[in-house]
Amino acid sequence: MRRTLTIGAVVAVSIAALAAQGKPQTSKGLQMTPTSVEITDQSSLRDCPPGTNTVHAMARAGERMANVTVAFKVLPSFKPGPLKRPAVMSTDGKTYNTSVQFVDVGSVPEFSCTFAFRVPEGTMLKSMTIEDATLDLSGLSK
Amino acid sequence: MEIDRRAFIASLGGAAVVAGMDHEAKAEALEHYMEDQLDAQVAANSGQADKFPTVAEIEAQIETRDFRRGAGSLFVSNRGNVKKLAPMPDKPTLKDFFELRFQPANHVLQSATRAMKTGMSEEIILACLLHDVVLNLIKPDHGWWGAQMIEPYVPEKTAFAVRYHQTLRFYPDPEAGYEYPDQYYRIFGHDYQPPKYIEDTYKWLKNHKWYMEPRLVTVNDLYAFDPNAKVSLEPFMDIVGRHFKQPKEGLGFDNSPSAHMWRTMMHPDNPL
Repeated sequence: MRRTLTIGAVVAVSIAALAAQGKPQTSKGLQMTPTSVEITDQSSLRDCPPGTNTVHAMARAGERMANVTVAFKVLPSFKPGPLKRPAVMSTDGKTYNTSVQFVDVGSVPEFSCTFAFRVPEGTMLKSMTIEDATLDLSGLSK
Repeated sequence: MEIDRRAFIASLGGAAVVAGMDHEAKAEALEHYMEDQLDAQVAANSGQADKFPTVAEIEAQIETRDFRRGAGSLFVSNRGNVKKLAPMPDKPTLKDFFELRFQPANHVLQSATRAMKTGMSEEIILACLLHDVVLNLIKPDHGWWGAQMIEPYVPEKTAFAVRYHQTLRFYPDPEAGYEYPDQYYRIFGHDYQPPKYIEDTYKWLKNHKWYMEPRLVTVNDLYAFDPNAKVSLEPFMDIVGRHFKQPKEGLGFDNSPSAHMWRTMMHPDNPL
């Protein structure tokens, strides 16, 4: 009985965790799943996959840093090459760019990156574009 | 300062990674680790995690040193006495300078590696490779000095990018992927305002058709030392061969307007 309850609880937690993630999208041999959106005053700008460069960006008055974390899987069809920096669109239709850059994608099979966007205070994110994929952020934006 | 050996090794990725590092890389990693620890201690003592010094606090440090911050790194050592330098060949090449005077050159090699991986043009990759080598000679106004030193030998766009990356580093451009580095709050002071000539240069650059050349150097400039990165000059030798006009007399002996700068780096122990 206790075992059934434990398994049930684990399944429920896993379903809840999956529901909290966005839907995976695939583009150019990369599977991408948005996993969280966090609003902060300061962000660490690491290259993607996390590696060489780190700069901290600090929000100025009236701004916040919106940090979107995306999990990546490199599929066999992926061809190494430069990728454009992602952009996010807010619910009011504005587009914001990030200073986080893709560097050496494909060097590891799975990785997770956080892309920081400088946005006006109160901005709600709707979606993120990476190459020709659009990731839905509406369920993750708080 | 006491160093927690285990924590230091763990911060580098473990004993295996450390075993693969040469002495220079280990020394540099240790120096960065100590700087970080010192910053953390200063922040903890002041009760503010993100407290950066003011311009006045940085100025107050001047008379606590026996050297000026602007001296080129060939001329001062922050790890004990300076060492005797290996002699240069009679007709030195850029490769000789990298191997005998610019070592370990991690910063510029990592920057150029990143530029290559992010698909920059060869002129920009070369600019990234050369953008800070003049810091071995002198630090203030390193963009202008650096460009002047390489100008006779590189494409015009490369020299332009090196000259003006210094200015653009003070001005964030999130559209282009460049944020003001927090390291600058630390080394210039959080209330630092660039001087008028930098502001004027920035205004002029903003509307210049080559604005993106120096901007891309700033985008690929690295602010964090990565001890795990394996970098060498080798991947850039083709680009150097195509775009760097190596004088047949050797750098320093070709009577170019910047030959004396290369000679000074060859012989930094000369008294006059």
